[in-house]
Amino acid sequence: MDAQALLQAITGVNPAAQERPNTNVPAVQVPVAGLHAFLQVLRDDPRFSFDFLLDHTAIDWMADGKFELVYQLFSTLHGHTLMVGVLIEREQPLAPTVSDLWPIAEWQEREVYDLFGIPYDDHPDLRRLFLEDDWTGYPLRKDYQDKNMLQRPQ
Amino acid sequence: MVDNIPGIVENFPGGSILVTTIDSIINASRANSLWPLGFGTKCCAIEMLMATGASHQDISRFGAEVVRGSTRQADLMIVAGAIVRKMAPRVRLLYEQMAEPRYVIATGACSICGGPFQYNSYHIVHGVDEIIPVDVYVPGCPPRPEAFFWGLLALQRLIKEGESIRRPDIRRKPVMASLPQGITMDDIQGEMRRLLEEQNVVNVAESAENKIWTKRLKEWMRKPSSKP
Amino acid sequence: MTVRVRTLDELLTPPAAGSSALSTQEYFVNMGPQHPIAHGSLRLVLRLDGETVKEVIPVPGFVHRGIEKMCEKLNPRQIIHLTDRLDYLSAVMNNWGVAKAVEKAANIETNGRIETIRTLMSELQRIQSHMLWWGVLGMDLGAYTAFLYAFRDREIISELFEETIGARLTMNYVRPGGVMFDILPDFQEKVKKLLKYLGPIIDEYDTLLSGNVILQERLRNVGVLDGKKAVALGCTGPVLRASGVPLDLRKLTPYGRYGDVEFNVAVGSKGDCWDRYYTRMEEIRQSMRIIEQLIDSIPEGPVNVLRASARISIPEGTYYDQIETARGVLGVMLVSDGKSPSPYRVHFRSPNFNNLWAVTALAPGWRIADIITIQSSLDLVIPDIDR
Repeated sequence: MDAQALLQAITGVNPAAQERPNTNVPAVQVPVAGLHAFLQVLRDDPRFSFDFLLDHTAIDWMADGKFELVYQLFSTLHGHTLMVGVLIEREQPLAPTVSDLWPIAEWQEREVYDLFGIPYDDHPDLRRLFLEDDWTGYPLRKDYQDKNMLQRPQ
Repeated sequence: MVDNIPGIVENFPGGSILVTTIDSIINASRANSLWPLGFGTKCCAIEMLMATGASHQDISRFGAEVVRGSTRQADLMIVAGAIVRKMAPRVRLLYEQMAEPRYVIATGACSICGGPFQYNSYHIVHGVDEIIPVDVYVPGCPPRPEAFFWGLLALQRLIKEGESIRRPDIRRKPVMASLPQGITMDDIQGEMRRLLEEQNVVNVAESAENKIWTKRLKEWMRKPSSKP
Repeated sequence: MTVRVRTLDELLTPPAAGSSALSTQEYFVNMGPQHPIAHGSLRLVLRLDGETVKEVIPVPGFVHRGIEKMCEKLNPRQIIHLTDRLDYLSAVMNNWGVAKAVEKAANIETNGRIETIRTLMSELQRIQSHMLWWGVLGMDLGAYTAFLYAFRDREIISELFEETIGARLTMNYVRPGGVMFDILPDFQEKVKKLLKYLGPIIDEYDTLLSGNVILQERLRNVGVLDGKKAVALGCTGPVLRASGVPLDLRKLTPYGRYGDVEFNVAVGSKGDCWDRYYTRMEEIRQSMRIIEQLIDSIPEGPVNVLRASARISIPEGTYYDQIETARGVLGVMLVSDGKSPSPYRVHFRSPNFNNLWAVTALAPGWRIADIITIQSSLDLVIPDIDR
């Protein structure tokens, strides 16, 4: 399925999905409500069969007061990829886990929790991944401050 | 108790000569049988611990090929790679587990000052010398195996010159074993060959005094360090 | 809403002894962070019953330097040298991954010479990387001879790199819009000589280690990862291909000069450690085939389409691109706000991070000695996991 047909089929499944502008891969933007069900359809529907979660990460849009979760999906059957973007609130963030759909998401979500502080609902094992358990703050947030972080002299 | 014996022996006639002779014997054996700890965290581990240990570079020419997995059997810690804040307490622990006398070579920019991760990194330790005392620094990213051997020779020279059973508590001044300007790879390899051919390993430092590169190295070392 | 944040200490409370007289007690053993098998600083916490492994809890982060945060302050050209220090055994491929993502985002067209040199260097490095893995696998399993053989031959490729690039390990070679230096006039001749030398050498490796009964006993049927599970666990590269899934980006979405050359994708049938071993051995041969076909057809042209001082501006948007490194798929996500010269956010989908978690599925039920085999056959580079 080429990119245009793929995006059309997805909007057929989820009318709330919008095409994401300014990318080099097929990408959609969906609301957080119903995200888990939407991703499950993407995985199970034979037209899409996105059985491979390549990557999951987040972007901190501090000026807009949002976090964006990004899922990179890949289908080993059809060989197509899809980027799914989901905006959530920056204050009191909460995201649904997809670790029951793709087991690797468990650790990718732990990384996002570790570096962005986005907790996942119903996550089986939510704890710090790279940093120590007693670390304060979430370093990949744009407003993170650390006295250990040297600034390059201009 | 044992530490006081040299002081007592020295008071007897001829005792001083005995202590000095024992010093040089002990130092020569220590310097030529360093047992490194296989402690690599990053890219430097490939060059410093693997490539030097393999057939092409062959660290056993300098008597330091017995890489141990356990700190308790090692006396030389080669810190090969970046140390981060999560690792820092473990590095200190490993260092304290090593038996005296123990030496530390910091190889690579990361373990000297943080290297490429010095700025804007929240998790880096700016130099392993914030955690443990370092005897020899070998700069490079990563240093060539030859540069590492240079550092190893510098450490051996330090041990042979600097230590005495009279003062077991004394610590050596750290050395930056950087290759001074104008020294080529051939010079080092020639020097290494000469050292290997030379049977008398105790007088290495003295005979090296006359070399041009020794003067340059000393001048370079006298310069104030760029590290705060 | 059920968000429960746990700590590692909670996981590691030893369970109470069973009530029956014959029951055994489970206990924890730490492998790492300083452990010869860790190939770096990785901590594996093993929950053991006797010598049988019940569970493996990997604890990464001992080399976490925050590269993604650092990239937010650097311009696209400066990011390249940090990627060397992710997976340092496939430095050129990592460079290329970022350079390709930047080129796609900023619409920079390269020429045939650049792509050919990149492909050649990548394949040389793939051979070098697999060679190191082969030697280290031998060393991990007690065959130190393999290590000496591998490094003898690896050194030859290292010298070739040093001549052209000036570095043995951290290359910083491929940059957006070109490569750092042109190849030397005698490069082709030297590579041909190298290939002539390597052909019998790889056969020698097979004679030395692959046919060894002890090695076969330790690799065959150990740590079986079937294709479905490998996909679910996000494995890529030789680990995935050994499980029978022929996913190779060089074939699927050809980049560089991979579309012009003939090569086969090495695929295993079962997914045990032996398949992972032999997939990599076969990949060395296939890489040699690729180099053989390309070495005589390097087109003429400049090796840089951009001036060194040219400003690379990435238009606003989110870009994702991926490349096949020696260990799997390296994905690079660039987010640009279109205002500052440095990207708003950079994320690396590191192949080793995703491959690491296969160990949690593979290890249970095996003995401690088999964990060594399994971890060695996954070929992990720890700084790439931690980033």
